[in-house]
Amino acid sequence: MKLSEVTAESEVPTAYRWRTVAVCLALLCGFGVMVFRFGHLQILQAEELSQRANRQYQRVIVLDSTRGGISDRKGRALALNIDVPSIIAEPLLVTAPSQAAQKLAPVLDMQAKTVERLLRAKKDWVRIKRKVSLAQGQQIQAMGLPGIDIEMEPQRFYPNGSLLAHVLGGVGIDSQGLEGLEYGYERFLKGQPQRVVRQKDARGHPIFSEGQLRESRISGHTITLSIDQVIQFIAERAIDRAVSETQARGGTILIMDPESGGILGWALRPTFDLNLLREAPGGVWRNRAVTDPYEPGSTLKAMLAAAALEEHVIELDTLVYAGGGEVPLNGTIIHDHTKAEWITFAEALVHSSNVVAVKTALSLSGERYYEYLREFGFGERTGIDLPGESRGKLKVPQDWSSRTLPSIAIGQEISVTPLQMVTAMSAIANHGWLMKPFVVQTMRDAEGQVVDEHTPEPRRRVISEKTASTLGSLLARVVNEGTGRRAAIPGYQVAGKTGTAQKFDVEAGQYSSSRFIASFLGYVPVEQPRLTILVMIDEPKGPAWGGVVAAPAFQEAAEQILRYLEVVPDTVEPMRLALASPFDSVQ
Amino acid sequence: MLNPAMTERGVDALEWSFIGVVLGILVVGILSIYSVTSKSLLTMFPVYLKQSIWILVGLLAFWVIGSMDYHKLARLSIVFYGIGLLLLIGVFLIGKNSRGAQRWIPLGPLAMQPSEFVKLPLILMLASYYSNKVRQGWWYRVIIPALITLPGFVLILKQPDLGSSLGFLAIYVTLLLAVGVKSKAFGLVLLSALMLFPFAWGGLWGSLHDYQKERIISFVDPAYDPGGKGYHGLQSRIAIGSGEIVGKGLHRGTQTQFKFLPEGHTDFVFAVFAEEWGFLGALLLLSLFLSLFLIGFEIAAKAKDLLGALLTIGVIGMIVFGVIVNIAMTLGLAPIVGIPLPLMSYGGSSMIMTMASLGLLLSVRRRRLTLS
Repeated sequence: MKLSEVTAESEVPTAYRWRTVAVCLALLCGFGVMVFRFGHLQILQAEELSQRANRQYQRVIVLDSTRGGISDRKGRALALNIDVPSIIAEPLLVTAPSQAAQKLAPVLDMQAKTVERLLRAKKDWVRIKRKVSLAQGQQIQAMGLPGIDIEMEPQRFYPNGSLLAHVLGGVGIDSQGLEGLEYGYERFLKGQPQRVVRQKDARGHPIFSEGQLRESRISGHTITLSIDQVIQFIAERAIDRAVSETQARGGTILIMDPESGGILGWALRPTFDLNLLREAPGGVWRNRAVTDPYEPGSTLKAMLAAAALEEHVIELDTLVYAGGGEVPLNGTIIHDHTKAEWITFAEALVHSSNVVAVKTALSLSGERYYEYLREFGFGERTGIDLPGESRGKLKVPQDWSSRTLPSIAIGQEISVTPLQMVTAMSAIANHGWLMKPFVVQTMRDAEGQVVDEHTPEPRRRVISEKTASTLGSLLARVVNEGTGRRAAIPGYQVAGKTGTAQKFDVEAGQYSSSRFIASFLGYVPVEQPRLTILVMIDEPKGPAWGGVVAAPAFQEAAEQILRYLEVVPDTVEPMRLALASPFDSVQ
Repeated sequence: MLNPAMTERGVDALEWSFIGVVLGILVVGILSIYSVTSKSLLTMFPVYLKQSIWILVGLLAFWVIGSMDYHKLARLSIVFYGIGLLLLIGVFLIGKNSRGAQRWIPLGPLAMQPSEFVKLPLILMLASYYSNKVRQGWWYRVIIPALITLPGFVLILKQPDLGSSLGFLAIYVTLLLAVGVKSKAFGLVLLSALMLFPFAWGGLWGSLHDYQKERIISFVDPAYDPGGKGYHGLQSRIAIGSGEIVGKGLHRGTQTQFKFLPEGHTDFVFAVFAEEWGFLGALLLLSLFLSLFLIGFEIAAKAKDLLGALLTIGVIGMIVFGVIVNIAMTLGLAPIVGIPLPLMSYGGSSMIMTMASLGLLLSVRRRRLTLS
């Protein structure tokens, strides 16, 4: 009996139940298929689909740690980080890309077309311009364009601009060290980047806020230098003046504590602004005081004298025939600036006699002189903690020609870095002990715990204490009565040696008669040396004598630094005593 | 003969089960909507609170209709259906256009979806048509009911709303099969086809190229999946699969919480539930729905007259269609057409209409043993 055959009034017949059963079976089948499908997805494919889900909402990002700061020996900041804005966009949220681009482009100093292309990118997130100025960031935020936002990023900042530029070195756009300490200590300053799992929603928005993100950054090590910002400033000013007054091509001033080997000041000209590293002309940022060797000229005679005195081939009062200012040597003639006949060895050095220098070297013999030069550290790296250090050039005696020894006697045919010179002179100042120079005094981790502390590192004794002291009095005479008179500082006994080296003209294949490197290398006070200073002026115009061009810069810098360091004067002049009398201050 | 006093009886065990199952599904639904929308800070009046109000309204409709005599309602069916069709026409005239489709009539801050409300009048209309007298022959049994159904179907299809129009059509097919067509075999085939329709379509659908699918979808339903490329379907499958066996827990469903799965509170509410409660949760929910349907068949079987049986079958057929098509869609077994999951998806019109329909079942149940 069919359902249709029953009347509206009658009871529902049992006969139609088979249909109900069929419907139920079909329904059960349908549900069975769904259950099977659920099992398929949630059990068999569960792992794969879970991974897909995780991939969608989790993004592993590498979070750079905040770069460690650099400060001077007294904790004054030389390099730090500030947060600067980067302009970002979420193209999906940008409503009118071309109008937005028109507004953004002039503020960001970009092409409107370029900006528009970025705004139309098929990405969740694009960077329009990184690390813009705070003013630019505020301006763009004020526009309130939908989908355009700023993101703060830590940026290296050098509060003093170009101060200590060549030692610090500078960083690139990603705060990666490019030169100097920033490069050499990259590993420590940078710290350990962390892998952070960042959750995001379907639009790519991070699930937790930016503030939390910043907190989880770990700082790299901070570095304290042996350099003193005040000394550095004095050095920068002194070299600036010397270079501009002589219209020189460049200049270098290095200041070292001879006792520890710690660098106190380090300034090169030309220089650059650390905050604008990318705009600096090519090569300016190279730390030439370690990378570029030069021929030192007469300043090297200090080391020659040290060797000769130590080996007793000559004494201060030994009379030497100066040949009337010239001596023939293998076809050429070596000239002296000050002509003399018979003079003592001391007088010869005080007036920087080339003739006597050559004779002394010859009597010392090439091998022995070479040994001493090596002992003083020439031809090898000083081991300073700055990158890119050159060895300089010192040929082994086997490769020497007959002219090599006399040339080296007067500081030619040997090239040295300014740092090697100042380190060698410091050995004389430091009673004969050669120290390893350094810049980084202390390294601390993010919590301020000291990770590494530099202790002065003597490398070897080069000359005896007695020779060092004899040499000190000899070099003091150079300043008192010789070529280095302009380096003298009232109240303090300065020891030093001038140098006026002809630059070797590669094109002409001979030493230039017009281009010089004028230098003064000395230390002060003689009895208990606190400072070793090298001043080097590259291609000064006009008079090129080291004693004229470089010595005044030494004098200016050293005098101010001694006063800053409150070094007690050797001799108290009556005038100064009067000025310092308590009666004056009572008035 | 039974005591006439039994006509208005207390609630028996099956009714309790019926009410229990309905409440169970409602709880699961509101829980899932709560999970998706409770963290939204943008609105003062979150979606789960709105849905709670619709559930209360729905429960009221359920109880009111349940205590009414379905014969009276059936007598007024032509009025209800007329009003329903007028509302559908009203959609064209004053409807709210959203994402390329015009489906809602704005009512102040709310909006009504007549395509939902017109389903119940159609059930009443067809059930009373078949039960008033014996409808014999091709013309009376098939064509005239088809003509009754056609205006509503066309009006919904033109909104356009493919899913709802198919759901509308399903009511006609269900009732036609219930009264029987000439060949039992044909009926069975059609019946199975109806039940297995989503899966069959899935196979057919799968053989099409993507661009063809996109064209078809955007032809019949431009509002849906505007980005195309099966994003919804994929995200839904990922949501369900990553729920694994025991689920991720309330508020822990990353797919929905992080908005990878759109429409989490409406068409894809089952995926939300399956992600957060896993395979076990899905089994529980499927059991609830299956129980609802089996209870429905029991009510139909025990109905005191043909009208009651047909009304029950019509309502159950409508809900079965919604449940199977919707879940098959979230499982990636059927194409994505916008069909809400009855009793669970967010939406006042669907909720009130579904609850009223279930109230009709209650009414049939309560009058099953009265004397005529």
